[in-house]
Amino acid sequence: MPNKRKRKEATAAYLCLIPSIIGLIFITYLPLLSVFALSFFNWGSGAPDPKFIGLDNYVRLFTTDPYFLDSLRVTVVFAVLTVIGSMIYSLFIAMLLNRKIPARGFLRAVFYLPYVLPSMAVYIGWSWLYEANFGLFNYFLSLLGAEKMKFIADGRLVVPSLALIGVWLSGNLIVIFLAGLQNVPRVYHEAALIDGANSFQRFRHVTIPCMTPIIFYNLLMALINNMQIVTPALALTNGGPGNESRFITYLMYQSAFINNHLGYGSSVSTVFFVIIAIFTVILFLTSRNWVFYEGDGK
Amino acid sequence: MVRKNRLATALTYAFLCAAALVDIIPFVWMILSSLKPQSEIFSFPPSLLPRQFTLRNYTAAWNAGGLNFARMFMNSMIVAVPATSLCILSSSLAAFAFARIRFSGRDFLFMCFVSAIMMPTMMVMIPTFLLMRPFIDTFVPLIARVMFGLPFVVFLFRQFFMTIPRELDDAALVDGYSKLRIWWSIIMPLSKPVVATLVVFVFQQVYNDFLYPLIFINSKSNFTVQLGLASFRGIYATRYDLLMAASVFTLVPILALFVAAQRYFVEGVVMTGLKG
Repeated sequence: MPNKRKRKEATAAYLCLIPSIIGLIFITYLPLLSVFALSFFNWGSGAPDPKFIGLDNYVRLFTTDPYFLDSLRVTVVFAVLTVIGSMIYSLFIAMLLNRKIPARGFLRAVFYLPYVLPSMAVYIGWSWLYEANFGLFNYFLSLLGAEKMKFIADGRLVVPSLALIGVWLSGNLIVIFLAGLQNVPRVYHEAALIDGANSFQRFRHVTIPCMTPIIFYNLLMALINNMQIVTPALALTNGGPGNESRFITYLMYQSAFINNHLGYGSSVSTVFFVIIAIFTVILFLTSRNWVFYEGDGK
Repeated sequence: MVRKNRLATALTYAFLCAAALVDIIPFVWMILSSLKPQSEIFSFPPSLLPRQFTLRNYTAAWNAGGLNFARMFMNSMIVAVPATSLCILSSSLAAFAFARIRFSGRDFLFMCFVSAIMMPTMMVMIPTFLLMRPFIDTFVPLIARVMFGLPFVVFLFRQFFMTIPRELDDAALVDGYSKLRIWWSIIMPLSKPVVATLVVFVFQQVYNDFLYPLIFINSKSNFTVQLGLASFRGIYATRYDLLMAASVFTLVPILALFVAAQRYFVEGVVMTGLKG
Protein backbone atom coordinates (compact mmCIF):
# COMPACT_ATOMS: atom_id res chain seq x y z
CA MET A 1 0.00 0.00 0.00
CA PRO A 2 2.67 2.61 0.88
CA ASN A 3 4.40 1.63 -2.36
CA LYS A 4 1.32 2.39 -4.35
CA ARG A 5 1.06 5.78 -2.70
CA LYS A 6 4.72 6.49 -3.44
CA ARG A 7 4.21 5.67 -7.08
CA LYS A 8 1.16 7.90 -7.20
CA GLU A 9 3.16 10.73 -5.67
CA ALA A 10 5.98 10.28 -8.14
CA THR A 11 3.50 10.42 -11.00
CA ALA A 12 2.12 13.67 -9.60
CA ALA A 13 5.65 15.07 -9.43
CA TYR A 14 6.42 14.18 -13.03
CA LEU A 15 3.13 15.71 -14.15
CA CYS A 16 4.00 18.93 -12.33
CA LEU A 17 7.37 18.97 -14.02
CA ILE A 18 6.21 18.39 -17.60
CA PRO A 19 5.95 22.04 -18.70
CA SER A 20 9.24 23.14 -17.25
CA ILE A 21 11.08 20.07 -18.49
CA ILE A 22 9.80 20.80 -21.99
CA GLY A 23 11.15 24.31 -21.51
CA LEU A 24 14.45 23.10 -20.13
CA ILE A 25 14.96 20.76 -23.08
CA PHE A 26 13.81 23.01 -25.91
CA ILE A 27 14.89 26.40 -24.61
CA THR A 28 18.17 25.44 -22.96
CA TYR A 29 19.81 22.06 -23.44
CA LEU A 30 18.78 21.08 -26.96
CA PRO A 31 19.84 24.48 -28.39
CA LEU A 32 23.07 24.27 -26.44
CA LEU A 33 23.92 20.89 -27.97
CA SER A 34 22.78 22.03 -31.41
CA VAL A 35 25.02 25.03 -31.33
CA PHE A 36 28.06 22.76 -30.95
CA ALA A 37 26.79 20.47 -33.69
CA LEU A 38 25.92 23.31 -36.07
CA SER A 39 29.39 24.77 -35.76
CA PHE A 40 30.75 21.86 -37.83
CA PHE A 41 28.43 22.61 -40.76
CA ASN A 42 28.36 25.05 -43.58
CA TRP A 43 24.80 26.28 -43.65
CA GLY A 44 23.14 29.47 -44.80
CA SER A 45 23.66 31.77 -47.71
CA GLY A 46 25.44 29.90 -50.52
CA ALA A 47 24.73 26.58 -48.80
CA PRO A 48 20.97 26.02 -48.51
CA ASP A 49 21.46 22.50 -47.12
CA PRO A 50 23.75 21.92 -44.17
CA LYS A 51 27.03 20.37 -45.23
CA PHE A 52 29.51 18.84 -42.79
CA ILE A 53 32.83 20.64 -43.01
CA GLY A 54 34.58 19.55 -39.82
CA LEU A 55 36.62 22.27 -38.19
CA ASP A 56 36.64 24.63 -41.18
CA ASN A 57 34.49 27.25 -39.46
CA TYR A 58 36.94 27.39 -36.56
CA VAL A 59 39.96 27.54 -38.84
CA ARG A 60 38.39 30.42 -40.72
CA LEU A 61 37.42 32.14 -37.48
CA PHE A 62 40.93 32.05 -36.03
CA THR A 63 42.92 32.64 -39.20
CA THR A 64 41.04 34.78 -41.71
CA ASP A 65 38.14 36.45 -39.92
CA PRO A 66 38.91 40.19 -40.01
CA TYR A 67 36.79 40.91 -36.94
CA PHE A 68 37.31 38.01 -34.57
CA LEU A 69 40.46 39.06 -32.72
CA ASP A 70 39.26 42.64 -32.36
CA SER A 71 35.91 41.47 -31.05
CA LEU A 72 37.59 39.20 -28.53
CA ARG A 73 39.73 42.08 -27.33
CA VAL A 74 36.93 44.65 -27.01
CA THR A 75 34.62 42.16 -25.28
CA VAL A 76 37.19 41.25 -22.66
CA VAL A 77 38.29 44.86 -22.12
CA PHE A 78 34.67 45.94 -21.78
CA ALA A 79 33.80 43.12 -19.38
CA VAL A 80 36.87 43.69 -17.19
CA LEU A 81 36.34 47.46 -17.01
CA THR A 82 32.64 47.13 -16.26
CA VAL A 83 33.00 44.34 -13.72
CA ILE A 84 35.76 46.11 -11.76
CA GLY A 85 33.96 49.46 -11.97
CA SER A 86 30.59 48.13 -10.92
CA MET A 87 31.96 45.99 -8.09
CA ILE A 88 33.75 48.97 -6.53
CA TYR A 89 30.86 51.37 -7.14
CA SER A 90 28.18 49.06 -5.82
CA LEU A 91 30.07 47.89 -2.74
CA PHE A 92 30.89 51.51 -1.90
CA ILE A 93 27.30 52.72 -2.25
CA ALA A 94 26.00 49.67 -0.37
CA MET A 95 28.35 50.37 2.55
CA LEU A 96 27.10 53.94 2.74
CA LEU A 97 23.50 52.76 2.57
CA ASN A 98 24.19 50.32 5.39
CA ARG A 99 24.15 53.12 7.98
CA LYS A 100 21.12 54.25 9.91
CA ILE A 101 20.02 57.16 7.75
CA PRO A 102 16.65 58.69 6.92
CA ALA A 103 14.87 57.60 3.72
CA ARG A 104 17.22 54.68 3.21
CA GLY A 105 14.61 52.65 1.34
CA PHE A 106 14.00 55.52 -1.03
CA LEU A 107 17.71 56.00 -1.75
CA ARG A 108 18.12 52.30 -2.31
CA ALA A 109 15.29 52.41 -4.84
CA VAL A 110 16.94 55.36 -6.63
CA PHE A 111 20.23 53.50 -7.05
CA TYR A 112 18.41 50.38 -8.09
CA LEU A 113 16.17 52.06 -10.66
CA PRO A 114 18.58 52.04 -13.66
CA TYR A 115 18.73 48.25 -13.51
CA VAL A 116 15.01 47.79 -14.18
CA LEU A 117 14.65 50.28 -17.02
CA PRO A 118 14.39 48.89 -20.56
CA SER A 119 17.91 48.89 -21.99
CA MET A 120 16.90 50.37 -25.33
CA ALA A 121 15.65 53.60 -23.72
CA VAL A 122 18.67 53.63 -21.41
CA TYR A 123 21.15 53.49 -24.28
CA ILE A 124 19.27 56.09 -26.29
CA GLY A 125 19.16 58.38 -23.26
CA TRP A 126 22.90 57.98 -22.72
CA SER A 127 23.65 58.52 -26.39
CA TRP A 128 22.12 61.96 -25.96
CA LEU A 129 24.31 62.67 -22.92
CA TYR A 130 27.31 61.54 -24.98
CA GLU A 131 26.31 63.51 -28.08
CA ALA A 132 29.39 65.10 -29.69
CA ASN A 133 28.18 68.70 -30.11
CA PHE A 134 25.19 69.37 -27.90
CA GLY A 135 25.46 66.60 -25.29
CA LEU A 136 25.31 67.37 -21.59
CA PHE A 137 28.68 65.75 -20.88
CA ASN A 138 30.35 67.99 -23.43
CA TYR A 139 28.75 70.94 -21.71
CA PHE A 140 30.33 69.80 -18.42
CA LEU A 141 33.65 69.41 -20.22
CA SER A 142 33.35 72.93 -21.62
CA LEU A 143 32.70 74.24 -18.11
CA LEU A 144 35.99 72.65 -17.08
CA GLY A 145 37.66 74.25 -20.07
CA ALA A 146 38.29 70.89 -21.76
CA GLU A 147 37.88 70.07 -25.44
CA LYS A 148 34.69 68.43 -26.63
CA MET A 149 34.80 64.64 -26.86
CA LYS A 150 32.95 62.29 -29.15
CA PHE A 151 32.56 59.48 -26.58
CA ILE A 152 30.79 56.59 -28.33
CA ALA A 153 31.70 58.00 -31.76
CA ASP A 154 35.41 57.87 -30.86
CA GLY A 155 37.18 54.53 -31.28
CA ARG A 156 39.35 55.03 -28.20
CA LEU A 157 36.50 56.13 -25.96
CA VAL A 158 33.63 53.90 -27.03
CA VAL A 159 34.44 50.97 -24.73
CA PRO A 160 35.08 53.07 -21.59
CA SER A 161 31.94 55.10 -22.36
CA LEU A 162 29.82 51.96 -22.64
CA ALA A 163 31.50 50.57 -19.52
CA LEU A 164 30.38 53.66 -17.61
CA ILE A 165 26.79 52.90 -18.63
CA GLY A 166 27.36 49.32 -17.48
CA VAL A 167 28.49 50.54 -14.06
CA TRP A 168 25.47 52.81 -13.83
CA LEU A 169 23.23 49.83 -14.60
CA SER A 170 24.58 47.74 -11.73
CA GLY A 171 21.91 48.67 -9.18
CA ASN A 172 21.16 45.00 -8.60
CA LEU A 173 24.66 44.51 -7.21
CA ILE A 174 24.08 47.34 -4.72
CA VAL A 175 20.92 45.71 -3.41
CA ILE A 176 22.58 42.31 -3.09
CA PHE A 177 25.63 43.79 -1.34
CA LEU A 178 23.40 45.74 1.01
CA ALA A 179 21.46 42.63 1.97
CA GLY A 180 24.75 40.85 2.57
CA LEU A 181 26.11 43.66 4.72
CA GLN A 182 23.03 43.51 6.88
CA ASN A 183 23.76 39.85 7.51
CA VAL A 184 27.28 40.44 8.83
CA PRO A 185 26.93 39.50 12.53
CA ARG A 186 27.14 42.59 14.73
CA VAL A 187 29.11 40.72 17.37
CA TYR A 188 32.14 40.52 15.07
CA HIS A 189 32.18 44.29 14.69
CA GLU A 190 31.68 44.77 18.42
CA ALA A 191 34.50 42.35 19.23
CA ALA A 192 36.78 44.19 16.80
CA LEU A 193 35.82 47.52 18.37
CA ILE A 194 36.74 46.23 21.82
CA ASP A 195 40.08 45.10 20.40
CA GLY A 196 40.58 48.70 19.28
CA ALA A 197 40.26 48.21 15.53
CA ASN A 198 39.61 51.40 13.55
CA SER A 199 36.94 51.55 10.88
CA PHE A 200 39.29 50.67 8.03
CA GLN A 201 40.63 47.67 9.95
CA ARG A 202 37.09 46.56 10.65
CA PHE A 203 36.22 46.91 6.96
CA ARG A 204 39.30 44.97 5.91
CA HIS A 205 39.20 42.20 8.53
CA VAL A 206 35.52 41.84 9.40
CA THR A 207 33.30 43.13 6.60
CA ILE A 208 35.29 41.87 3.63
CA PRO A 209 35.84 38.29 4.90
CA CYS A 210 32.17 37.95 5.87
CA MET A 211 31.16 39.27 2.47
CA THR A 212 33.36 37.05 0.32
CA PRO A 213 30.59 34.60 -0.68
CA ILE A 214 28.47 37.52 -1.89
CA ILE A 215 31.40 39.23 -3.58
CA PHE A 216 32.03 35.96 -5.37
CA TYR A 217 28.42 35.61 -6.47
CA ASN A 218 28.24 39.20 -7.72
CA LEU A 219 31.57 38.87 -9.49
CA LEU A 220 30.47 35.74 -11.30
CA MET A 221 27.07 37.10 -12.34
CA ALA A 222 28.48 40.48 -13.39
CA LEU A 223 31.12 38.76 -15.47
CA ILE A 224 28.69 36.44 -17.25
CA ASN A 225 26.26 39.30 -17.89
CA ASN A 226 28.80 41.78 -19.14
CA MET A 227 30.53 39.29 -21.41
CA GLN A 228 27.17 39.04 -23.17
CA ILE A 229 26.99 42.74 -23.90
CA VAL A 230 25.26 43.25 -27.24
CA THR A 231 22.42 45.79 -27.02
CA PRO A 232 24.50 48.99 -27.32
CA ALA A 233 26.27 47.57 -30.36
CA LEU A 234 22.92 46.74 -31.95
CA ALA A 235 21.18 49.92 -30.87
CA LEU A 236 23.82 52.62 -31.11
CA THR A 237 27.17 51.81 -32.63
CA ASN A 238 26.70 48.93 -35.12
CA GLY A 239 30.02 47.65 -33.87
CA GLY A 240 31.86 50.85 -34.71
CA PRO A 241 33.72 53.12 -34.87
CA GLY A 242 35.97 50.72 -36.75
CA ASN A 243 35.70 47.47 -34.82
CA GLU A 244 35.93 49.07 -31.42
CA SER A 245 32.51 47.96 -30.20
CA ARG A 246 32.15 44.84 -32.32
CA PHE A 247 31.54 42.65 -29.30
CA ILE A 248 31.70 38.92 -29.81
CA THR A 249 27.94 38.54 -29.41
CA TYR A 250 27.49 41.19 -32.06
CA LEU A 251 29.83 39.28 -34.35
CA MET A 252 27.68 36.22 -33.80
CA TYR A 253 24.50 38.16 -34.53
CA GLN A 254 26.06 39.60 -37.65
CA SER A 255 27.30 36.26 -39.01
CA ALA A 256 24.08 34.42 -38.32
CA PHE A 257 21.31 36.93 -38.84
CA ILE A 258 22.74 39.58 -41.18
CA ASN A 259 25.05 37.48 -43.36
CA ASN A 260 22.93 34.38 -42.85
CA HIS A 261 25.83 32.03 -42.10
CA LEU A 262 24.21 29.92 -39.41
CA GLY A 263 27.05 27.39 -39.14
CA TYR A 264 29.72 30.03 -38.90
CA GLY A 265 27.70 32.00 -36.35
CA SER A 266 27.42 28.82 -34.28
CA SER A 267 31.18 28.46 -34.22
CA VAL A 268 31.40 32.02 -32.86
CA SER A 269 28.84 31.03 -30.19
CA THR A 270 30.83 27.96 -29.26
CA VAL A 271 34.07 29.88 -28.89
CA PHE A 272 32.20 32.44 -26.81
CA PHE A 273 30.83 29.67 -24.61
CA VAL A 274 34.30 28.24 -24.07
CA ILE A 275 35.66 31.67 -23.09
CA ILE A 276 32.91 32.21 -20.54
CA ALA A 277 33.42 28.68 -19.23
CA ILE A 278 37.17 29.31 -18.81
CA PHE A 279 36.53 32.52 -16.89
CA THR A 280 33.98 30.77 -14.70
CA VAL A 281 36.29 27.86 -13.94
CA ILE A 282 39.17 30.21 -13.10
CA LEU A 283 36.90 32.15 -10.75
CA PHE A 284 35.72 28.96 -9.06
CA LEU A 285 39.26 27.62 -8.68
CA THR A 286 40.64 30.83 -7.19
CA SER A 287 37.59 31.16 -4.96
CA ARG A 288 38.94 28.39 -2.74
CA ASN A 289 41.65 30.77 -1.63
CA TRP A 290 39.57 33.80 -0.86
CA VAL A 291 35.93 32.89 -0.31
CA PHE A 292 35.07 32.01 3.28
CA TYR A 293 31.93 30.16 4.14
CA GLU A 294 30.78 30.16 7.72
CA GLY A 295 31.30 26.85 9.51
CA ASP A 296 33.96 26.04 6.94
CA GLY A 297 36.65 25.43 9.53
CA LYS A 298 38.86 28.09 7.91
CA MET B 1 32.12 59.68 20.19
CA VAL B 2 28.42 60.26 19.66
CA ARG B 3 29.05 63.65 18.08
CA LYS B 4 31.68 62.22 15.80
CA ASN B 5 29.22 59.53 14.76
CA ARG B 6 26.52 62.05 14.04
CA LEU B 7 28.88 64.06 11.88
CA ALA B 8 29.87 60.93 9.96
CA THR B 9 26.23 60.08 9.39
CA ALA B 10 25.46 63.59 8.17
CA LEU B 11 28.41 63.47 5.77
CA THR B 12 27.38 60.03 4.51
CA TYR B 13 23.88 61.27 4.01
CA ALA B 14 24.96 64.38 2.12
CA PHE B 15 27.25 62.32 -0.06
CA LEU B 16 24.57 59.71 -0.78
CA CYS B 17 22.03 62.35 -1.75
CA ALA B 18 24.54 63.95 -4.10
CA ALA B 19 25.36 60.54 -5.59
CA ALA B 20 21.66 59.78 -6.00
CA LEU B 21 21.23 63.07 -7.85
CA VAL B 22 24.11 62.22 -10.18
CA ASP B 23 22.64 58.76 -10.59
CA ILE B 24 19.34 60.04 -11.96
CA ILE B 25 20.88 62.62 -14.31
CA PRO B 26 20.53 60.44 -17.43
CA PHE B 27 16.93 59.84 -16.59
CA VAL B 28 16.02 63.43 -15.65
CA TRP B 29 17.89 64.79 -18.64
CA MET B 30 15.89 62.53 -20.90
CA ILE B 31 12.61 63.88 -19.53
CA LEU B 32 13.73 67.52 -19.58
CA SER B 33 14.99 67.19 -23.15
CA SER B 34 11.76 65.60 -24.28
CA LEU B 35 9.93 68.76 -23.21
CA LYS B 36 12.04 71.15 -25.28
CA PRO B 37 11.37 72.18 -28.89
CA GLN B 38 13.90 71.09 -31.50
CA SER B 39 15.50 74.54 -31.77
CA GLU B 40 16.19 74.57 -28.07
CA ILE B 41 17.46 71.03 -27.81
CA PHE B 42 20.22 71.77 -30.31
CA SER B 43 21.57 74.83 -28.56
CA PHE B 44 24.89 75.09 -26.78
CA PRO B 45 25.25 75.65 -23.88
CA PRO B 46 22.08 73.67 -23.19
CA SER B 47 19.26 75.11 -21.12
CA LEU B 48 18.67 73.25 -17.88
CA LEU B 49 14.90 73.60 -17.73
CA PRO B 50 12.88 73.96 -20.93
CA ARG B 51 12.68 77.68 -21.79
CA GLN B 52 9.84 76.89 -24.10
CA PHE B 53 7.88 74.08 -22.55
CA THR B 54 6.22 71.87 -25.15
CA LEU B 55 4.45 68.53 -25.37
CA ARG B 56 4.65 68.47 -29.15
CA ASN B 57 7.46 65.90 -29.15
CA TYR B 58 5.17 63.44 -27.46
CA THR B 59 2.27 63.91 -29.86
CA ALA B 60 4.65 63.80 -32.82
CA ALA B 61 6.54 60.72 -31.61
CA TRP B 62 3.42 58.69 -30.85
CA ASN B 63 2.73 58.10 -34.53
CA ALA B 64 5.94 59.11 -36.30
CA GLY B 65 7.74 57.16 -39.00
CA GLY B 66 4.94 54.70 -39.73
CA LEU B 67 5.26 53.36 -36.18
CA ASN B 68 2.31 53.40 -33.90
CA PHE B 69 3.08 53.31 -30.21
CA ALA B 70 -0.49 52.42 -29.25
CA ARG B 71 -0.22 49.32 -31.40
CA MET B 72 3.24 48.47 -30.08
CA PHE B 73 2.11 48.77 -26.47
CA MET B 74 -0.75 46.43 -27.27
CA ASN B 75 1.69 43.94 -28.80
CA SER B 76 4.02 44.10 -25.82
CA MET B 77 1.13 43.40 -23.48
CA ILE B 78 -0.18 40.56 -25.67
CA VAL B 79 3.26 38.99 -25.24
CA ALA B 80 4.09 39.91 -21.66
CA VAL B 81 0.81 39.15 -19.89
CA PRO B 82 0.28 35.52 -20.98
CA ALA B 83 4.03 34.83 -20.94
CA THR B 84 4.33 36.03 -17.35
CA SER B 85 1.24 34.26 -16.04
CA LEU B 86 2.11 30.95 -17.68
CA CYS B 87 5.71 31.22 -16.55
CA ILE B 88 4.64 31.70 -12.95
CA LEU B 89 2.26 28.73 -13.12
CA SER B 90 4.67 26.27 -14.70
CA SER B 91 7.64 27.40 -12.62
CA SER B 92 5.77 27.15 -9.34
CA LEU B 93 4.41 23.72 -10.26
CA ALA B 94 7.91 22.45 -10.94
CA ALA B 95 9.22 24.08 -7.77
CA PHE B 96 6.40 22.44 -5.83
CA ALA B 97 7.45 19.03 -7.10
CA PHE B 98 11.06 19.73 -6.14
CA ALA B 99 10.24 21.08 -2.70
CA ARG B 100 7.42 18.77 -1.65
CA ILE B 101 7.48 15.41 -3.38
CA ARG B 102 10.04 12.63 -3.21
CA PHE B 103 10.70 10.93 -6.53
CA SER B 104 13.64 9.24 -8.15
CA GLY B 105 15.93 11.51 -10.13
CA ARG B 106 14.86 14.58 -8.20
CA ASP B 107 18.29 15.84 -7.24
CA PHE B 108 19.72 15.24 -10.68
CA LEU B 109 16.82 17.09 -12.36
CA PHE B 110 17.14 19.96 -9.93
CA MET B 111 20.84 20.23 -10.74
CA CYS B 112 19.92 20.45 -14.43
CA PHE B 113 17.67 23.40 -13.64
CA VAL B 114 20.23 25.16 -11.48
CA SER B 115 23.00 24.83 -14.06
CA ALA B 116 20.70 26.27 -16.71
CA ILE B 117 20.54 29.51 -14.73
CA MET B 118 24.11 30.36 -15.63
CA MET B 119 23.72 29.65 -19.31
CA PRO B 120 24.31 32.75 -21.45
CA THR B 121 21.13 33.38 -23.47
CA MET B 122 23.02 34.81 -26.41
CA MET B 123 24.70 31.44 -26.87
CA VAL B 124 21.59 29.63 -28.02
CA MET B 125 20.14 32.31 -30.27
CA ILE B 126 20.85 30.46 -33.54
CA PRO B 127 19.35 27.05 -32.65
CA THR B 128 16.38 28.76 -31.01
CA PHE B 129 15.86 30.67 -34.21
CA LEU B 130 15.95 27.46 -36.26
CA LEU B 131 13.63 25.67 -33.86
CA MET B 132 11.03 28.43 -33.97
CA ARG B 133 11.38 29.22 -37.66
CA PRO B 134 7.80 28.12 -38.42
CA PHE B 135 6.58 30.86 -36.09
CA ILE B 136 8.63 33.74 -37.48
CA ASP B 137 6.88 37.09 -37.27
CA THR B 138 4.37 35.88 -34.69
CA PHE B 139 4.36 36.32 -30.93
CA VAL B 140 4.73 32.57 -30.39
CA PRO B 141 8.54 32.52 -29.97
CA LEU B 142 8.46 35.47 -27.58
CA ILE B 143 5.87 33.79 -25.36
CA ALA B 144 7.22 30.26 -25.73
CA ARG B 145 10.62 31.35 -24.48
CA VAL B 146 9.24 31.96 -20.97
CA MET B 147 5.85 30.22 -20.75
CA PHE B 148 7.34 26.84 -19.86
CA GLY B 149 8.99 28.36 -16.82
CA LEU B 150 12.42 29.86 -16.30
CA PRO B 151 15.04 27.85 -14.37
CA PHE B 152 15.79 30.85 -12.26
CA VAL B 153 12.15 31.33 -11.25
CA VAL B 154 11.81 27.62 -10.49
CA PHE B 155 14.83 27.88 -8.24
CA LEU B 156 13.53 30.88 -6.30
CA PHE B 157 10.07 29.38 -5.87
CA ARG B 158 11.57 26.15 -4.59
CA GLN B 159 13.73 27.99 -2.06
CA PHE B 160 10.67 29.73 -0.70
CA PHE B 161 8.44 26.64 -0.68
CA MET B 162 11.06 24.87 1.44
CA THR B 163 10.42 27.38 4.22
CA ILE B 164 6.68 26.58 4.44
CA PRO B 165 6.03 24.06 7.26
CA ARG B 166 5.44 20.55 5.97
CA GLU B 167 2.80 19.86 8.62
CA LEU B 168 0.36 21.83 6.47
CA ASP B 169 0.77 19.33 3.64
CA ASP B 170 0.34 16.39 6.00
CA ALA B 171 -2.84 17.85 7.44
CA ALA B 172 -4.20 18.45 3.96
CA LEU B 173 -3.29 14.88 2.93
CA VAL B 174 -5.27 13.56 5.85
CA ASP B 175 -8.18 15.67 4.64
CA GLY B 176 -7.88 13.92 1.30
CA TYR B 177 -6.36 16.76 -0.71
CA SER B 178 -4.57 15.79 -3.90
CA LYS B 179 -1.02 17.06 -4.47
CA LEU B 180 -2.25 19.46 -7.10
CA ARG B 181 -4.82 20.85 -4.72
CA ILE B 182 -2.18 21.31 -2.01
CA TRP B 183 -0.13 23.34 -4.46
CA TRP B 184 -3.03 25.52 -5.53
CA SER B 185 -4.93 26.04 -2.28
CA ILE B 186 -2.22 25.84 0.37
CA ILE B 187 1.25 26.55 -0.98
CA MET B 188 0.42 29.28 -3.50
CA PRO B 189 -1.77 31.40 -1.19
CA LEU B 190 1.01 31.29 1.43
CA SER B 191 3.52 32.43 -1.16
CA LYS B 192 1.82 35.63 -2.27
CA PRO B 193 4.80 37.93 -1.63
CA VAL B 194 7.12 35.68 -3.66
CA VAL B 195 4.55 35.36 -6.42
CA ALA B 196 4.33 39.16 -6.56
CA THR B 197 8.10 39.48 -6.64
CA LEU B 198 8.49 36.97 -9.43
CA VAL B 199 5.57 38.34 -11.46
CA VAL B 200 7.25 41.73 -11.43
CA PHE B 201 10.58 40.14 -12.26
CA VAL B 202 9.35 38.08 -15.21
CA PHE B 203 7.11 40.81 -16.60
CA GLN B 204 9.97 43.28 -16.54
CA GLN B 205 12.26 40.82 -18.32
CA VAL B 206 9.76 40.08 -21.06
CA TYR B 207 8.71 43.70 -21.54
CA ASN B 208 12.32 44.95 -21.63
CA ASP B 209 13.55 42.22 -23.93
CA PHE B 210 14.94 43.45 -27.19
CA LEU B 211 16.89 40.53 -28.67
CA TYR B 212 14.09 38.03 -29.16
CA PRO B 213 11.77 40.53 -30.88
CA LEU B 214 14.71 41.69 -33.01
CA ILE B 215 15.32 38.19 -34.28
CA PHE B 216 11.78 36.90 -34.55
CA ILE B 217 9.60 39.87 -35.52
CA ASN B 218 9.72 41.40 -38.99
CA SER B 219 6.59 43.39 -39.77
CA LYS B 220 5.90 46.75 -38.21
CA SER B 221 2.40 45.76 -37.14
CA ASN B 222 3.94 43.10 -34.86
CA PHE B 223 6.66 45.26 -33.31
CA THR B 224 6.95 45.28 -29.54
CA VAL B 225 7.72 48.55 -27.79
CA GLN B 226 11.45 47.87 -27.51
CA LEU B 227 11.81 46.84 -31.12
CA GLY B 228 9.75 49.86 -32.14
CA LEU B 229 12.00 52.20 -30.20
CA ALA B 230 15.09 50.71 -31.87
CA SER B 231 13.50 51.14 -35.26
CA PHE B 232 12.46 54.66 -34.30
CA ARG B 233 16.10 55.45 -33.62
CA GLY B 234 17.02 53.97 -36.97
CA ILE B 235 14.73 56.51 -38.65
CA TYR B 236 15.33 59.56 -36.43
CA ALA B 237 18.95 58.96 -35.39
CA THR B 238 19.66 62.64 -34.73
CA ARG B 239 16.18 63.90 -33.81
CA TYR B 240 16.92 63.78 -30.09
CA ASP B 241 13.76 65.75 -29.32
CA LEU B 242 11.55 62.98 -30.72
CA LEU B 243 13.87 60.21 -29.54
CA MET B 244 13.71 61.36 -25.93
CA ALA B 245 9.91 61.54 -26.03
CA ALA B 246 9.69 58.07 -27.57
CA SER B 247 12.11 56.70 -24.96
CA VAL B 248 10.00 58.16 -22.18
CA PHE B 249 6.96 56.31 -23.56
CA THR B 250 8.72 53.00 -23.25
CA LEU B 251 9.72 53.72 -19.65
CA VAL B 252 6.21 54.52 -18.45
CA PRO B 253 4.90 50.96 -17.82
CA ILE B 254 8.08 49.92 -16.02
CA LEU B 255 8.18 53.12 -13.97
CA ALA B 256 4.54 52.73 -13.00
CA LEU B 257 5.18 49.15 -11.97
CA PHE B 258 8.31 50.18 -10.09
CA VAL B 259 6.52 52.85 -8.10
CA ALA B 260 3.59 50.55 -7.34
CA ALA B 261 5.62 47.47 -6.49
CA GLN B 262 9.04 48.83 -5.53
CA ARG B 263 9.26 46.51 -2.57
CA TYR B 264 8.80 43.44 -4.74
CA PHE B 265 11.37 44.60 -7.27
CA VAL B 266 14.03 44.96 -4.63
CA GLU B 267 12.97 41.84 -2.75
CA GLY B 268 13.53 39.76 -5.88
CA VAL B 269 17.14 40.80 -6.17
CA VAL B 270 17.76 40.20 -2.51
CA MET B 271 16.45 36.66 -2.89
CA THR B 272 18.65 36.03 -5.88
CA GLY B 273 21.73 37.23 -4.09
CA LEU B 274 21.41 35.58 -0.75
CA LYS B 275 20.14 32.22 -1.76
CA GLY B 276 22.16 31.88 -4.95
